[in-house]
Amino acid sequence: MIAMKRITYLAYSLLVACMVAAMTGWSMAAGNFLVPVIAIPLGIFVVYACRAQVSEVIGDERENRIRSKAALRTLEVITIGGAIAAIILYSYVVSVPLAPVITGKLVINDDGTQSMTIAEYKAGSMPGPENLVRSTTIKNLNAMNDTEAITYCTYVREGFRENETKGLAGTVIGCGLAVLLATFGAFYFYYNRKY
Amino acid sequence: MKNRIKVLRAERDMTQEQLAELVGVTRNTIISIEKDKYCPSLKLGYRIARIFGVGIDNVFTYEEDKDGPSAESDE
Repeated sequence: MIAMKRITYLAYSLLVACMVAAMTGWSMAAGNFLVPVIAIPLGIFVVYACRAQVSEVIGDERENRIRSKAALRTLEVITIGGAIAAIILYSYVVSVPLAPVITGKLVINDDGTQSMTIAEYKAGSMPGPENLVRSTTIKNLNAMNDTEAITYCTYVREGFRENETKGLAGTVIGCGLAVLLATFGAFYFYYNRKY
Repeated sequence: MKNRIKVLRAERDMTQEQLAELVGVTRNTIISIEKDKYCPSLKLGYRIARIFGVGIDNVFTYEEDKDGPSAESDE
């Protein structure tokens, strides 16, 4: 048995955490799901084994009080900040001024076919050449070939992709907050009854 | 809350590290208590008093705040 100092234990814990994270990330990217199954429990075991060797006091009542206060403050800050971020990000999905302005100009050609020019302008701007982001023309609207149809769909889709991504981020943050609050509430009631 | 830990330690030629080890806390906790920055629990207070072989009222002295006892906080 080798006595270990607290700082050494913390350094080893950090090293093990980095190694496990690197191995898990690499194996997931490589499609190998066996490595995390072995690496994570092994990492936890190594950290606990190191903890058992520490001769100094790792935590006491002051440390616990500080941690609990910090956790409470963190929860408060994350809840308020997360709620604001979720609302702002989700508002992109339903926001008209923040969405790109997409216009379609229908033209009846001399031969009777219909062509359409679709243009995307900067969000919240008036349609005009100075605000034009990009445009495309479909020569015959009634006889779009596959390439033109894909271009058209991609065009419309791409125009809203950024907003949809932000909306998704907002939804994820909102759901994360809900889970965080539910977990905290469960623990709160548990300890409220216990002590 | 005022305390005489520093004096009691000096009388017994005891270091903060030694006291921390005897009561089972970190040295930082002893430092904070001595500086009146941290108010220990009753249990820890009794443990410290027992190490010095005195009563708890010989180690800790309660001083009412100017704002009154209800205003005391460990913030």
